[in-house]
Amino acid sequence: MFYREAGQFKTSYEADQSLFPIRQDRIGIAVLLLIAFVLIPLTANDFFLTSIMIPFLVFSLAAIGLNVLTGFAGQLSLGSGAFMGVGAYAAYKLTSIFPDVNVIFLVLVSGFFSAAIGAVFGLPSLRIKGLYLAVTTLAAQFFLEWCFIRIPWLYNYNASGAIEIPKRDMFGITVSGAEATPLARYFVVLAITVVIALLVANVLRGRIGRSWMMIRDMDIAAELMGIRPLQTKLLAFGVSSYICGVAGAMMVFFWLNAAEPSSYSITLSFQILFMVILGGLGSLGGSFMGAAFIWILPVFLKFIPGTLGIDIPAETVEHLTFMIVGALIIFFLIVEPHGFARLWQIGKQKLRVWPFPY
Amino acid sequence: MNAIMTSEEMPQVAAPTAEREDLLRVDNVSLSFGGVKAITDISFDIKKGEIRAIIGPNGAGKTSMLNVINGFYHPQVGTITWQGQVRRKMKPYEAASQGIARTFQNVALFRGMTTLDNIMSGRSLKMRKNFFWQMMWYGPAREEEIEHRKKVEEIIDFLEIQAIRKTPVGRLPYGLQKRVELGRALAMEPDLLLLDEPMAGMNLEEKADMSRFILDVNQEFGTTIALIEHDMGVVMDLSDRVVVLDYGKKIADGPPEEVQASQAVIDAYLGVSH
Amino acid sequence: MLYDIFIDPFVQMVTMPDFFLQVLWEGFVTGILYALIALGFVLIFKASGVFNFAQGIMVVFAGLTLVGLHEHGIPAYLALLLTIVVMGILAYGIERVVMRPLVNQPDIILLMATIGLTYFLVGFGEFVFGGEPKQMIAEQLGLPTGSTAFEMGERGLVILQHIDIAAALIAIIMVTALAIFFNKTRIGRALRAVADDHQAALSVGISLNQIWAIVWFAAGLVALATGIMWGARSDVSFALEIVAFKALPVLILGGFTSIPGAIIGGLIIGFGEKIGEIYWGGLVGGGIESWLAYIIALIFLLFRPQGLFGEKIIERV
Repeated sequence: MFYREAGQFKTSYEADQSLFPIRQDRIGIAVLLLIAFVLIPLTANDFFLTSIMIPFLVFSLAAIGLNVLTGFAGQLSLGSGAFMGVGAYAAYKLTSIFPDVNVIFLVLVSGFFSAAIGAVFGLPSLRIKGLYLAVTTLAAQFFLEWCFIRIPWLYNYNASGAIEIPKRDMFGITVSGAEATPLARYFVVLAITVVIALLVANVLRGRIGRSWMMIRDMDIAAELMGIRPLQTKLLAFGVSSYICGVAGAMMVFFWLNAAEPSSYSITLSFQILFMVILGGLGSLGGSFMGAAFIWILPVFLKFIPGTLGIDIPAETVEHLTFMIVGALIIFFLIVEPHGFARLWQIGKQKLRVWPFPY
Repeated sequence: MNAIMTSEEMPQVAAPTAEREDLLRVDNVSLSFGGVKAITDISFDIKKGEIRAIIGPNGAGKTSMLNVINGFYHPQVGTITWQGQVRRKMKPYEAASQGIARTFQNVALFRGMTTLDNIMSGRSLKMRKNFFWQMMWYGPAREEEIEHRKKVEEIIDFLEIQAIRKTPVGRLPYGLQKRVELGRALAMEPDLLLLDEPMAGMNLEEKADMSRFILDVNQEFGTTIALIEHDMGVVMDLSDRVVVLDYGKKIADGPPEEVQASQAVIDAYLGVSH
Repeated sequence: MLYDIFIDPFVQMVTMPDFFLQVLWEGFVTGILYALIALGFVLIFKASGVFNFAQGIMVVFAGLTLVGLHEHGIPAYLALLLTIVVMGILAYGIERVVMRPLVNQPDIILLMATIGLTYFLVGFGEFVFGGEPKQMIAEQLGLPTGSTAFEMGERGLVILQHIDIAAALIAIIMVTALAIFFNKTRIGRALRAVADDHQAALSVGISLNQIWAIVWFAAGLVALATGIMWGARSDVSFALEIVAFKALPVLILGGFTSIPGAIIGGLIIGFGEKIGEIYWGGLVGGGIESWLAYIIALIFLLFRPQGLFGEKIIERV
């Protein structure tokens, strides 16, 4: 009744090709942005910002990065954690070398390092596909992790082997380092995530996004239609790694304050992959939903029994999380391989005809 | 030897279209996979503006021939001349950028995309705006997108598939999928259109529609067409000239009625005891 | 520098042959264990085309179950028996809950399903048995301990752990048994039929579900053997899961469907990794074992994408 596109006629191709062709969707997204930029900063406490919103946004961005590669270009990657690490270490080195340069600028630049390395590991994708490619990305994962441990220059010869983020100001406000307020960090992370998500959405609806999907759906046909497979795949690797790199840098700069090589281990890669699968392969909105689910479920499991007066030990929560996530992945693959994004679509379809069943 | 003779004879055999220019020539091409010979010493030509049919029993090497023409397979022996120039060994995407488009025996649409996006994908080579503009969307990228969308809409109108514009192609019935695939190839505005069994698995009406589209494409846009088809009625009606393959060899070449009368062709199709 | 890379390692190999032999033996045993994990992958891949990411965790899970049961006071052999039963139930459950509903899905979906399975088993294993590393009950199972030293004249000695020898023997026995099972029994024949073509196998009356349950069970047994052997060498912990990823490069060398390929691939990776680490690892700070296997596989892929025993793939359109 409320969600209906009847009567909304499009008189130009411009209108037909906009990101949200339906008016109600535009209102919905505006409301979401309003909540994110106004309501949450006004009402949320520090815990909510630091433990839920900031990690959620960071993971959303990482999931978008992996989704570009796996969901849109069809190249399975198990190395997104390491590419995030490259971003983090690159940003750390950059801010050590250029302490006066704006830290957000450096975080955005650090993604290019990640992109370059991602493209190098994407090279074999010309000749190998699917599982075989997964091995390449595993090679990237373990090799890069090893680099984070064995190259002391990367962590400024720190005795602990970890990178610790120094205090950095922007326009007189501290945005990184231990003293930065959650609110400042939140705004930075939110702004970067929203802007990158928007740019990615633009790329995906144009020629380049289409060429990725062509490669994904039928690589031979794509090639016979003039798509250069190597360039197209490398671009996907590059863009994906760039986004993951920025997310990785944000993860340590605006959330954790310090990171060790194990922060960017294969566990992180899998976590991101699950967000993408559960959220929906090939859906940007799904990346947000997947990230929210994977990140918030453990928090939820931790606090709900507590409020009910049942005490569950921390490990048990972790084990339960593993089991639930694992079971849900299987469940989703069986029931709805396109994840939350598809469920959302179905929901909208139902809303469209509500209150009638058909 | 024999094959060189054949290629010299060809213009006389193909009298009606002999005065036209060659768009593509295949000379003495042989292709084998390991020990299996797919194509043996085949020569023929495709003239500008004609509809050329390639027929033959199953396993005769027809699809392999198309694959050679658009650079997917590389023949061990022989040359291919495209618009008067001998072609070097090249990648399929280079063939596409030279103006060769094709459809596939088993529909090879991009299943995750809508009809519109599938046909838009045919415009990929004609779109130039770089990554930066794509990212910005507003401005040049959008103008380009709209400009090509108009072209694509013309094709959609031409093929009468307006209603399924926004439908994911995976959900379409087979006949429509074939039509969308034709649309995708047309969107490339090719000089040479290769159709691999465009009517396989269609009922009579769908075949009639498809035949009409093929003729229209040929006559209205002047596109040269090479098609593989098993339905002899269709082949005889549509094509200007026919080349017949059997066991990877060329056994006849010429106008439909001539080929139809050829003893070698009758033997190949009906089978003879050797 | 060049001397360190190209000459010195070989000089060392020749001048200290006892040490070199020891390294080779280490490589051999590691390789056997990789091969065993890879074998589990191959079994399932052959029969169902599923790349079972969970094979590594099945190894851990089998080991944990065995040790966990023993810790609860069940005698070692009975615990072994019970573990076999547990693996059987697991195989049946996986077939019923995961495989059957996902028949005919794209490979990538199935792969992800096994990743989900991995996560579930990790959580479940830790939930039931706790997350700490455990000691394998090798002695109680009657596996030999101790070691034998072989003297090499005046050049020193090579020490062979008995458990390693046992591991090698068990691996050989298992591979032989599997080969016989595949080639000589009725079920084995059905299995190969399923591997060739699901639908054709169905049409001649082979039950896919039954075959899949059997292969998952077989893979579970292989996992159990691997778990015992590996557990006896170090301990039973979830760290093994990372080690199990090494089966991937092994499979790339050997091909996804070849049992001899898995063995040879395992050995190549085992040898390559140990020799690389000992003789060249020091040059870059050590620890290259964590990625060397993947790089070997990667280089290999670029030259022979179809694996050692695979056939060249001709793409068709």
